[in-house]
Amino acid sequence: MKAEPVLSTHALSAGYGDFQALFGVDFEVYAGEVVALIGANGAGKSTLLRSILGLLPVLPEMVRFRGKPVGGSKPHTMVRNGIGMVPEGRRLFAGMSVEDNLRVAVDYGRKPERDDDAGSIWTIARIYALFPILGERRDQLVHNLSGGQQQMVAIGRALLTQPRVLLCDEISLGLAPKVVHEIYDALPLIRQAGTALVLVEQDVSLAKRASERLYCMLEGRITLTGASDSIGRDTIAEAYFGAIHAMA
Amino acid sequence: MQWLDALVQGVLLGGMYAQYALGMALMFGVMRIVNIAHGDLMILLALTGISLATAFSLGTMSLIAVLVPLAALLGWTLQRGILNKAVGEDPLPSLIATFGLSIAVQNLMLQIWSADTRSLRGGGLESASIDVGGVYVGVLPVIVLVTAIALTAGLDFIVRATRFGRGLRAAAADTEAAAVTGVDPKSIYAVSTAIAVAILGIAAVFQSLRATVSPADGPAQLIYAFEAVIIGGMGSLWGAFVGSMVLGVAQAIGFRIDPGWGILFGHLVFLAALAIRPEGVMKRG
Amino acid sequence: MSLSVIVLTALVAMPWWADSGWIRWAVELSCYIAIAQMWNLLAGYAGLVSVGQQAFIGAAGYALFILCQKFGVNPFLAVPLALIVPALLSVPTYLLLYRLDGPYFAIGTWVVAEAVRLLTTNLDYVNAGAGLTLRVMAQYRLHEREIAMTMLSGILLLVTVGGSYWLLRSRHGLALTAMRDNPVSAGSQGVNVSRLRFFVFVAAAVGTGFAGAIYYMAQLRITPASGYDPKWASISIFIVMIGGIGSIEGAIIGGLIYFFPDRFFSQYGASYMVVLGCLTLFMAIYARGGIWGLVASRFDAPWFPVGRRLALPAAGERKPS
Repeated sequence: MKAEPVLSTHALSAGYGDFQALFGVDFEVYAGEVVALIGANGAGKSTLLRSILGLLPVLPEMVRFRGKPVGGSKPHTMVRNGIGMVPEGRRLFAGMSVEDNLRVAVDYGRKPERDDDAGSIWTIARIYALFPILGERRDQLVHNLSGGQQQMVAIGRALLTQPRVLLCDEISLGLAPKVVHEIYDALPLIRQAGTALVLVEQDVSLAKRASERLYCMLEGRITLTGASDSIGRDTIAEAYFGAIHAMA
Repeated sequence: MQWLDALVQGVLLGGMYAQYALGMALMFGVMRIVNIAHGDLMILLALTGISLATAFSLGTMSLIAVLVPLAALLGWTLQRGILNKAVGEDPLPSLIATFGLSIAVQNLMLQIWSADTRSLRGGGLESASIDVGGVYVGVLPVIVLVTAIALTAGLDFIVRATRFGRGLRAAAADTEAAAVTGVDPKSIYAVSTAIAVAILGIAAVFQSLRATVSPADGPAQLIYAFEAVIIGGMGSLWGAFVGSMVLGVAQAIGFRIDPGWGILFGHLVFLAALAIRPEGVMKRG
Repeated sequence: MSLSVIVLTALVAMPWWADSGWIRWAVELSCYIAIAQMWNLLAGYAGLVSVGQQAFIGAAGYALFILCQKFGVNPFLAVPLALIVPALLSVPTYLLLYRLDGPYFAIGTWVVAEAVRLLTTNLDYVNAGAGLTLRVMAQYRLHEREIAMTMLSGILLLVTVGGSYWLLRSRHGLALTAMRDNPVSAGSQGVNVSRLRFFVFVAAAVGTGFAGAIYYMAQLRITPASGYDPKWASISIFIVMIGGIGSIEGAIIGGLIYFFPDRFFSQYGASYMVVLGCLTLFMAIYARGGIWGLVASRFDAPWFPVGRRLALPAAGERKPS
């Protein structure tokens, strides 16, 4: 059985002004799976996420979501359709409390539909159950939180937009290993709710462990794709550093 | 007694300025733009209000009821049609666009209403005053001040405690992060400008009751609003209110020293505020 | 370049070939171009949008009139001396305002101009609101005055337009262009943004004051209402935005485009200003580079090759490639 991917890109090219950063990227995510997107700094991983979400201009056919061409729609429309994002560097709303940060997502995110099963709907209470420390610090301003706690708010905020696919941009960046584990331990719970996950990671072994499939990017192109547990380290190294360009 | 009187009159005058400054503080807080046509829009609404009141013999309350929705629509259209295209990291486009708008609106008003000064009749309200221990306090200025307090408190509540307010604070803090949380910044901006101009609609009615208005008056009102916002610390609503009081008192005291020095004294207090307490006027950081 | 030399020579020789009306126009046009060029340097390169340049126009004009009428200084010698006043005024102005964010800086300069205007209006020493007349000029014959005015206008253009050209070609030019394109990264690349901004602000005040002194010398009369008229800010903005911000050519083209229709259409007064206002608004949103920007995107033939690309992509032009 070959199901339709929930989110896919087709020959996606994009860039900033005169600078082209992505060259014909084909990328797919199926419902409920965890996909890792790895690559060196500047390989185009964040640019790909930004293009999918409509933060960079792309043509409609380049991004398909649940069978419809949606490329180039406004970011807030994408979010309300069901694509969530944890942006790189967390990007919390400064000057607002933890709870207000979360409430913005409840107020403006996707409204759950009748066919969503009740167990998959995220509420602020469920976020506090997932990350208990946030419940304790709900009235604090976000800049008083530690980096890990801020990352939890960012993830919670994204989940409360009720995404069908959640794009996570470098959620382990700059965090202590213990905190990274704490956050990655929460991922299976998120998946249980039926949300597909795309993890952009620089830490390859972490990405391999946490995902079912992975894509590797180099210089704006996909250089490798396959099941995470069947790809060897050497193959990844080649795709990652571009030792053999024939791979592309 | 003379100085107490100046203080009281200054605070009352500040109530008028607070009504101009509130919308400017809101727009700057959300979008980091200053609408140079702010004062001209107020004058446009005032002249429109005077014409409407004359044509349909409207009383003050019914005029406010007509003018405020009209003003909100004007603000919403302005944002959707023009300002949303000019908002961004670079302050130049919005500044120049609203500057052009200001010139266009001023001269359009000159053509429609000519350079004459006009005012609104409030059925004796404008001249009524009460004697409070030797200081004569005008009834209308007190209403203006109370309205200013109510508007500031109301807007502050909206920003702090409503769905729209959360969206607004989110868009102000990080536009892109707000967008990826489902907030449409452009629509937040449109509602903010609608609110800002709606408040100008109320200010316009009071301004034409307590003084005369003419098409060239806009820039002065813009400058007062601006000074109030800066003195109070940028972008904060209650700050703008306090700044308005300081400006009103400065002008009233300056006026007592020499009638020619009133407005100049306000400018000097503004410049002094810039010089001695820059922490209140630091850039966002 | 050779074009500039011909234009300058023709300008200075005008008293021998043109009639008084034309000379008057040429002097005024020179002042407009100079003021616009200075505004362009501020807004287009240093990122300092000012709507208060009239402070320096009026201050220099008044300084000139005071030097001549109260101290008996020779009017032509008084012009350079008068420039000390805008220079002195610009220093505290900048130090007070530089902390303000872009749009707030702009209105801050306006407040300074208004404060200076009100101060002048309240000073009996300069005849308060009634203004001053430059009576000493009556001792010269019209032809002599015209020679002097065209000479001064020539020097004005040389200093402001030529000076901007020189500045942009100098080692500071690259820094200024970098600052125009991205002040933050320019700062991180070792450009001393704040010092350069300060320098440009003072230089622009002097250049603008120079134009103001010449303009009111030609008018023979100055009042606080005319010298500190916010109209001066409008004119600079119209000229630069319509001609093209961030290029020397833009201010010149804008000056010509503004000046001649202004002579013919100003009889329509308000409606003409409505059109100009809307045009400025339109340019700010849709054609950031102004008319010169549109020309330059088709023909690559700058009159003043400052050696750096003048690329100002409009926001809407970004397409995926």
